[in-house]
Amino acid sequence: MFDHELTSGAPLESDTQRIALGLRQRDAAVLETLVERYQCRLVRYLVSLFGRRYGVDDLVQETWLRVLERGGSYDGHYRFEPWLFRVARNIALDTMRKRPMLSLDSREGDGVPLSTASGEGSPYTLAARTQDAERLADAMQTLEPVYREALVLRFQEDLSLQEISLIVGAPVSTVASRIYRGLATLRPQLEGETA
Amino acid sequence: MNLDHHESFQRMIDQSLAGVISREKEQSLREHLSTCASCKEYLRASNRVIAGLNGFSFEVNPTLNSRVLAALRLQMQQDRAARPNRLRFLRPYTVSLKVWAALAAALSMSIVGSALLYKMATYLMVPVHFDNAQVEAGVLVFWLLPSLCAAFCLLAAPVERRGIA
Repeated sequence: MFDHELTSGAPLESDTQRIALGLRQRDAAVLETLVERYQCRLVRYLVSLFGRRYGVDDLVQETWLRVLERGGSYDGHYRFEPWLFRVARNIALDTMRKRPMLSLDSREGDGVPLSTASGEGSPYTLAARTQDAERLADAMQTLEPVYREALVLRFQEDLSLQEISLIVGAPVSTVASRIYRGLATLRPQLEGETA
Repeated sequence: MNLDHHESFQRMIDQSLAGVISREKEQSLREHLSTCASCKEYLRASNRVIAGLNGFSFEVNPTLNSRVLAALRLQMQQDRAARPNRLRFLRPYTVSLKVWAALAAALSMSIVGSALLYKMATYLMVPVHFDNAQVEAGVLVFWLLPSLCAAFCLLAAPVERRGIA
């Protein structure tokens, strides 16, 4: 009945332990594997935070350098993705603080979307690969970043509410209501249309 | 059925999609959906939104991976170069070396200290009417054995509590 079910998706603990050990030892092969495995997802997450593609590549590089620097603090007791996204989010927030016109948490509820860099098309319009995605692209672009972030983490990255809560530093109930509100904003774009 | 009734089931659909619904609520939702067209439409639209979200595919700049890996390698090289070369090969053993050095120092001090104390006690034993056996026992019990115990406690303590690592 439900197309989207909560899946455990948790890798074996030995996998996370291997990652933790590799990061502690600054193992180049482990880092290379992680970059290959998570690069796309990292780009997608950072685009959801910024609502633009411009500058995301630099943040991705910055994130991996931070992973190299702070890798020892990942203990392998939980999945790697939440830890990685948390690192990326902190870097993104630092960048936004340096540019006070951009912020993430403080904009919840004020209804003002982040603007894209001048001359750059909406990353969501460019990335839409299905008809429904095309219909959602504009709404995704104008959706407030905190809602967009919650939707992407839940439905694209398949993270649990607890994991998202760790990433965004907000209670699970807040994360849940962000998801409800995000879905409520996007739903009218597809309601009444035939699939 | 009134509007509030549907709204409560639609809230349950949201909870189910977010992954925070209880088994009992989900069961009651399943039963409701089998008879309610509007809530079924709400669920269908929500699932289409989720499917739509997965219809976005961001292409990664083809040079990004190599750029990132090059930056990581450079950083690792710089970090290695920044470490002092002196005794680098000994670094993994630094903690245990410190402990053994401390033990050696403690043992030396115990033995030398005991000898000095014994020498001093032999001068003092005449006025206090002690004999040799009493002085030797006193030095052994009150000086040598406690100091040896203290020295070997260094080895018995867990690494993180040795205080010198």
